[in-house]
Amino acid sequence: MLTSGCGTRPDERAAPATDRPTGTLPAAPALPPATLPDLSHMTDSVRDQILELDRAVAEKTGNLDIQPAERSAAYGEMANLLMAARCFEAAERYYLHAQALAPAEIRWPYYLGHLYRTTGELRKSAESFERALALKGDDGTILLRLGEAYLAEGRPERAEPSFAKALSLQPGSVAAQFGLGRVSLARQDFATAASHLREALRLDPRAAGVHYPLAMAYRAMGDRAQAESHLRQWRQVEIPVADPLMRELDDLLQSPAAYESRGVRALDSGNWAAAAEHFKKGIELAPKSPSLRHRLGTAMFMMGDAAGALGQFDEALRLSPKFALAHYSVGVLMETSGRPTEAIARFTAAVSHEPSYIEARLRLAGALGRSGRLNDALSQYEEIIRIDPRVADARYGQAVTLVRLQRYQDALDHLSDDMKTFDQPSFALALARVLAAAPDDRVRDGRRAMAVMQALTPEQRGLDSGETMAMMFAEVGQFEEAVAWQRGAVEQAQRAGRHDVARRLAETLRLYERRQPCRTPWGADEMLP
Amino acid sequence: MALTCLRPIRAVIAALILAPGVGCAGDPARQPSSAGSEDGTDHGRTAHAVTGRGQSAEREWFTDGAPAAELDFAHFNGMSGRFYMPEIMGPGVGFLDYDNDGDLDVYFVQARMLEPGKTLQNALIAPHGPLPPTGRLFRNDLSVAGDGSRRLRFTDVTDRSGISAPGYGMGVATGDIDNDGWIDLYLTNFGRSQMFRNKGDGTFVDISRRSGTDGAGWAVSAAFLDYDRDGWLDLYVGNYLNYTIDADKECFSATGGRDYCAPQVYRAQPDRLYRNKGDGTFDDVTSAALVGAQFGPALGVVTADFDGDGWIDIYVANDSEPNQLWINQGNGAFADAALLAGAAFTGEGKAEASMGVDAGDFDNDGDEDLFMTELSGEGSNLYVNDGSASFTDLSAPSMLGPSTVRSTGFGTGWLDFDNDGWLDLLSVNGMVRAVEERLSAPFPYDQRKHLLKNLRNRQFEEVSAEAGAVFQLSEVGRGAAFGDIDNDGDTDVLVANAGGPARLLINEIGSRNHWVGLRLVGQHTTRDMLGARVAVVRGDGATLWRRIRTDGSYASANDPRVLVGLGDSAEVPTVRVRWPNGREEEWSDVAVNRWTTLKEGGGR
Repeated sequence: MLTSGCGTRPDERAAPATDRPTGTLPAAPALPPATLPDLSHMTDSVRDQILELDRAVAEKTGNLDIQPAERSAAYGEMANLLMAARCFEAAERYYLHAQALAPAEIRWPYYLGHLYRTTGELRKSAESFERALALKGDDGTILLRLGEAYLAEGRPERAEPSFAKALSLQPGSVAAQFGLGRVSLARQDFATAASHLREALRLDPRAAGVHYPLAMAYRAMGDRAQAESHLRQWRQVEIPVADPLMRELDDLLQSPAAYESRGVRALDSGNWAAAAEHFKKGIELAPKSPSLRHRLGTAMFMMGDAAGALGQFDEALRLSPKFALAHYSVGVLMETSGRPTEAIARFTAAVSHEPSYIEARLRLAGALGRSGRLNDALSQYEEIIRIDPRVADARYGQAVTLVRLQRYQDALDHLSDDMKTFDQPSFALALARVLAAAPDDRVRDGRRAMAVMQALTPEQRGLDSGETMAMMFAEVGQFEEAVAWQRGAVEQAQRAGRHDVARRLAETLRLYERRQPCRTPWGADEMLP
Repeated sequence: MALTCLRPIRAVIAALILAPGVGCAGDPARQPSSAGSEDGTDHGRTAHAVTGRGQSAEREWFTDGAPAAELDFAHFNGMSGRFYMPEIMGPGVGFLDYDNDGDLDVYFVQARMLEPGKTLQNALIAPHGPLPPTGRLFRNDLSVAGDGSRRLRFTDVTDRSGISAPGYGMGVATGDIDNDGWIDLYLTNFGRSQMFRNKGDGTFVDISRRSGTDGAGWAVSAAFLDYDRDGWLDLYVGNYLNYTIDADKECFSATGGRDYCAPQVYRAQPDRLYRNKGDGTFDDVTSAALVGAQFGPALGVVTADFDGDGWIDIYVANDSEPNQLWINQGNGAFADAALLAGAAFTGEGKAEASMGVDAGDFDNDGDEDLFMTELSGEGSNLYVNDGSASFTDLSAPSMLGPSTVRSTGFGTGWLDFDNDGWLDLLSVNGMVRAVEERLSAPFPYDQRKHLLKNLRNRQFEEVSAEAGAVFQLSEVGRGAAFGDIDNDGDTDVLVANAGGPARLLINEIGSRNHWVGLRLVGQHTTRDMLGARVAVVRGDGATLWRRIRTDGSYASANDPRVLVGLGDSAEVPTVRVRWPNGREEEWSDVAVNRWTTLKEGGGR
């Protein structure tokens, strides 16, 4: 019931009878009066914006000396603002008036098509897009929207000509190929679907959303390998349709939420400066919004302004002292600026206000471990595992913390279990290290370490596994192999510019050259996630 | 064709409901007898109840029977103007025969004030009924007269039941965890969940802590299933968000008014799988048994053998994140196969806001298909199984979109409301974010229910307008439990509304057709054998598959019995049962238009 129950203002204003476009639509039923919705719950800025526009609209629409096209535009302008404010019932009323006054104007049926799509009136949506198309039959965007409306309605046979015509107008249209692919899928013509969807990907390899229906087409054709391959490449992203008319609505509304939404979109697209501007405008309207402050701080941090970011985070916390996300962000800032004690305090505050905040606990555990508070770190990892037993980073952190606490058997047991649970080679690599280099004779088992490593593919072992391979060979007495692997690891660290790591690896290399095994599974610089 | 017996409806619907030769008055084949009588046959079959009621042709398909039956319950959501998310997520509701008298009793989930320091006087919607608000158990005192007419009456037995549920309730799951033949009760909460063991004397004992199933957080839907086929019911608990009142975030509508947050504002809380050890306690086997997927914010859970390998699987409906299809590996572990199975996303690859979910063989091809309710603008989804747990999204071609796209659906279920042998759909609806233009109202989330008729061609038609005045009520629908509350051979529906009165949708149309009603109990226990599959083989070879379950819908517990519509044919079908342990048996003399209990080992 998205469009029902609209709270209409008590002073609702019926449309003047003379405003009816009787000359153009003599048989049309009377339009509902163009009235504003209840504005009482709206923030001041939006209410003022709507009321100000309402006055301007009233001046024009009430003056029959003004040309219908101009009055239509006035109704349409208000409709757009109401649509942006998601007041769909009221927006519909204004659009209908605009459409009636200017039946040749393409925008109003086009916007109505979107409005009805949003409110779930699929048949009316398709009818409105058809009406827009009748005014401009070669508009690719309308054709695409119409095809989408028909697909949503379960009428692929009606969708196909729209997508096909859109493609003929724009042969490089990914959206048209995507639409045709889904039409074929709906008809269970999987080969044709795959053909269209492959073509969409050829046109734009970044259109990752295409991979899912393509995978479904391959699955239906029995090609599981192709299906799995495309599922791996799939990301949930919209296939973009250039839609300048709808873009015009994006920036209409002046509310904190609207600015926040725009800012988040800019953040997501990596446009930090634009994001910051949007958040600042939002703060002008809602200076006490901790969320906007926090988002502005994030944008500033991404722009390299750590001090400015800290100021915004602190302000967010002044406004909302229990704002866990802001505590967390300050903690990250402290950590990256080499202030571990303050970082720990902030992460602690974050988890005290939001006990299930996994990322904050992970950061806290890591910071505690690096500060030498190993038992405290272990407690945090255990708490994360209690909250969510499937957080692999916590399992890994728990195991390496146990190693640092010299509880090698416990670490071995955990890693053995974790390796079965998590399909991640990091656990096998860690297990191999413990088996190859733990100081505890009861735990060490070079042969088993070798078996663990051999079970991994070269890709799973990764480029950084040389050190582990060297430990393993040294433990089973194959020092020549150990030396060769360790030398490779040293060179790799040097090439990567990690000279501190290279120095540590070189020290171990000298052990192997003296035919002595390694007894430190991890260096202090690589212990905790 | 007795079209005159119907209210004026579209001819196509009439044709589907009343096939040739079916009259409206009592059929000679439907001999009345008293509910709960035992026939003591040597086939392990028990006549449970019979119907033969003549229906008034003028009656609505569904009527709200709650007031007449004194089923007086209204949910209290404790809202005080702070827009705490749990206020819009509950409640579920449950059907369970807790006293084993042969008729379904009712459990209502209740809530309390959420805002610290606030009392009931601060509630924006005042509580109704006994104070303080707690979950309520109502006993069904159904009486059947000699002419087959029935009188439903309920008695609130909460205070003498031993059930104490003063928390912020979300949902109900039912199953007999100790195989003593008495159904037990699991209550999901915003807060610690609760397990109540049925003592068999009309009372329950709280074993939450001792059982090890009292997980904290925010559980919504749960399901009992015997995933390791050891004869003991295990428990899957779907958890929603990592949300606390302390960490509540303020969210706003586009125009700046306060509103409830979207789920993306919070992180998902991982689900739990508890293995029943057979001694009243459970092991949390989540990390060992559920391998290979991230959890989402779970709202709906349904269990069924989707790939037909004899091992029960789990489907989880997540809110705005990929759904999971946990395929039972037969070795104590599950693997999430949803992505390749086409059950994680819509056909376009979108994760939608799944709420309620149910599995059923709507196209009568022998496998379990999935239906789930979604957010307004998305439309409900129908994923059709090819028998190997490979699904195709047929939401749009099924014509579900135009009917459901404007609703935010919650409780839902496959039900053959007219007993024509084809599973139809019912969903209860209510928004989670208000329409801008209604934000000034105190709780502006109400919507109407949907009844969708199976047209037997993988398409559906909305028939809500014909279904009765109760379908025209606009309420904040959440839970829905499905079962034959009056044992008359058709499926009734109990609806729980957030912040409003419960509705008992009495089916007045289904028993005009023929039916078979079955309760399946074990060989060594009289508990309902959840997970068993029933094939009802018609004379023409057509087979209707149903399964024994209490799960599905949204946060609700259903009738564990199965009711199979036979349309206009009173011919006695063959009934085949595949028990959860893999054993198969057949009965050829199950009576039509009666409730019958089949005991494992009693067939051939």
